[in-house]
Amino acid sequence: MPDRRMFWRILRRIFTSNRGRLLVILLALGAGAAVTAALLNLQVDAKRRITSEFRVFGANVVVAPRGTDGGREAGTLDQSVVEKIPALAAQRRIPVVAFLYLIADVSSHHSKKPVPAVIAGAAGYGVADVVPGEPVAVSTSISQTEPNCLLGTKVASELDVRVADRLFLESGNRKETCHVASIVARGGPEDNQIFINLDVAQRLAALPGRISLVQLSVVGTPAQIDGYIAGLRGQLPDVEVRAIRQFTEGEAKIYDRISGILSYTVALVLVLTALSVMAAMTNVAMERRNDVGLMKSIGGATRRVLRLFLAEAALLGLTGGVLGAALGLLASIWLGKQVFGVAARPRLIVYPVAVALTMLVSIAGAFPLRRLASARPASVFRGEP
Amino acid sequence: MFVRLVSDSFARRPRHKLLTGAALALGMAVATAALSVALDVGDRLAREFRSLGANLQVTPQADSLPLEIGGVDYRPVNAGAYLPESDLGKLKTIFWRNNIVGFAPTLEFPAVFHRATPAGAPRYGGQIDSGTPASVIGTWAGHSVRASDGTRYSTGVEKTNPWWRIEGNWFAEESKECVVGERLARRYGIKMGDTIFLEGQEIAPRSTMILGDDGPRVGLLVRGLLSTAGSEDDAIVIPLNLAQQIAGKPGEYRRLYVSALTKPEDDFGRRDPNTLAPADYERWYCTPYISSIALQIKQVLPGADVRVIRRVAEGEGQILTRVRALLWLVTFVALLAAALAVGASSAASVIERRAEIGLMKALGAGSGTVGSLLAAEQLLLAFVGGGLGYALGIFLARYVGQKIFGAAPAFSFVVLAVIIGLAAIVTLLGSAIPLRRASRYEPAPILRGE
Repeated sequence: MPDRRMFWRILRRIFTSNRGRLLVILLALGAGAAVTAALLNLQVDAKRRITSEFRVFGANVVVAPRGTDGGREAGTLDQSVVEKIPALAAQRRIPVVAFLYLIADVSSHHSKKPVPAVIAGAAGYGVADVVPGEPVAVSTSISQTEPNCLLGTKVASELDVRVADRLFLESGNRKETCHVASIVARGGPEDNQIFINLDVAQRLAALPGRISLVQLSVVGTPAQIDGYIAGLRGQLPDVEVRAIRQFTEGEAKIYDRISGILSYTVALVLVLTALSVMAAMTNVAMERRNDVGLMKSIGGATRRVLRLFLAEAALLGLTGGVLGAALGLLASIWLGKQVFGVAARPRLIVYPVAVALTMLVSIAGAFPLRRLASARPASVFRGEP
Repeated sequence: MFVRLVSDSFARRPRHKLLTGAALALGMAVATAALSVALDVGDRLAREFRSLGANLQVTPQADSLPLEIGGVDYRPVNAGAYLPESDLGKLKTIFWRNNIVGFAPTLEFPAVFHRATPAGAPRYGGQIDSGTPASVIGTWAGHSVRASDGTRYSTGVEKTNPWWRIEGNWFAEESKECVVGERLARRYGIKMGDTIFLEGQEIAPRSTMILGDDGPRVGLLVRGLLSTAGSEDDAIVIPLNLAQQIAGKPGEYRRLYVSALTKPEDDFGRRDPNTLAPADYERWYCTPYISSIALQIKQVLPGADVRVIRRVAEGEGQILTRVRALLWLVTFVALLAAALAVGASSAASVIERRAEIGLMKALGAGSGTVGSLLAAEQLLLAFVGGGLGYALGIFLARYVGQKIFGAAPAFSFVVLAVIIGLAAIVTLLGSAIPLRRASRYEPAPILRGE
């Protein structure tokens, strides 16, 4: 096997003889591999993260009683409907909150006469995620003996109450009190509402075990959300499952744009980077004319010589790819942390893909050497084109 | 001699120079495309976010507490306060008027509507039924507002609530037309082209009523069916001026929705304007933060309470900031990769020319002469390659912009300057390191090929 030994020896020489050149090639290939790995990884992760970011909009699906007659008289649902709602969407737990609304007369020590206000009894997972807002004031104490309530800014200013005050709620002849735990600005109709525990609201409304509606904040891509809603409709045929179109449609539109811009930018960057690296590699490979000429003049068959150089290119691609892609993955984890505050999860499939792409680019870059096969060694040495 | 040497170098090895140039042009095209997209995307996405509709809500300051459940206000009509419609033209005079995408006032009240029997309206001998209660919303659709400076501007509920879908047409302003929520229409079998008769619960004095042949009721032509997946599906939407007359509140509205293009609030934007120094206050006021736009609206609408719809505004700000950061990072990574690939290409071309460098030095050229000669060559390449790359990159960025947003990013000289500068720096840096090493060599061993 002297042939193969010679092959490896030549390859080894290529790697050890000119360190500067090797470094330059690895730099170009490594940069390409790093960009490929980082962007591919980041792209998949970013799209997933964006869907979570959308949840700052709050609820996007409502489960309500089926259109009761008359329009203005709101019906109620049995509370057990909440248990039939799947708690997971896109493998993530979603906020599901049951609400019971009623109008009660509210007064505090400061207010002279009772003011009618909307009481929203809420219970479930993730109330703050369903009706997002910004706390204006938070009480330092939470009452253990009486229910705590959360006031919208408008109702708080109307009643002239501050945190840690006590509120008196009255509906019919039923009375409840609550401790103002915080005041929250939301900018919507929730600013006029008093949030309290569901059971207190049910006692006040004399509607035990009844709720007005359930609000859900379903996470996922637009297609996943649609799938979830369709599934929910199948599961709950007797009630109305309604997407809050303002958010589902807006989200779908924005998601499509963001994911489009990411995909396009990443594809563009990858293709151009590959071409740029390939041009650089061809440039480097063309400098080997003298070597090709020498090998041919001492009797190397064109195919063997070419094979040697392609093997070199493949090996360089592998080295550059392995190093660069590893760097790129690390970079994408860091970049993910910078953008989303959560490290991007490295996807292992990205690694072999990036390495393979780098090898491909490297080999493709060396391929123009084939043109030298027809060149006569003598003219190569004379420096003729 | 200098020029001849440089031009000779290009003429002698055209393919070589072409490849270096191609690597450079492609690398710079990456940089240009990524940079153009990143610079442009913020504004474009901000516009996309307006598909979420209004982000500001204006209500009368003196208003009583709204008793709103599921989008239906349970207050009687004469409870609470109203705002004058005539002030609304002033919205287009505020500092950030061009950032206001749309606004629509609403006046909502409970009413009773009647349907005619198949025989038709009473004037044709038909009968109308005993009436059904429903919510009536008066608002603008394609309304033309005259700003205080005389310009006209078209706005309406289709701008502030873009998720509302209408089957058929919107009502025409100043006409006796309406659109009916689809659920209400389905329940009572109302079709497009039907006429319904509206009667306010609080009937206004007869002088302000539009008295038709049908007595103190207004016959309205159903121009379209409205689907919103919200409480409006059970409501009747009519022109605002008609609603004002039926409710007996001429020239007034109860709530105004404003959709404005904003800059995501940063730490500076979140500061309390009352505590800012005059210079900072100026800067805050002249930045399109949602809070500064809210303040400017409040200044032109006396007696109004302007609230930021948090779930829309906060979400928008947060997502925009994230996406922008993400694209800047992608751009940064692309720039870095382009720089490395181009630098490597230039370095390779210098390394391979050691023999030439040796010869020049043997003929008496100093390191400086050799260096400036090679630098001139590289700079020439950088300008040509960078320019070509810029053209290619801009072309691609326009394609992407057109494809995604239907609008190409604006041409920017900053990007051109950055790209040419980057190309020059990268090629010079890439060749500087091998050049330094080459200048240390003695010519003789290089020429001997050692």
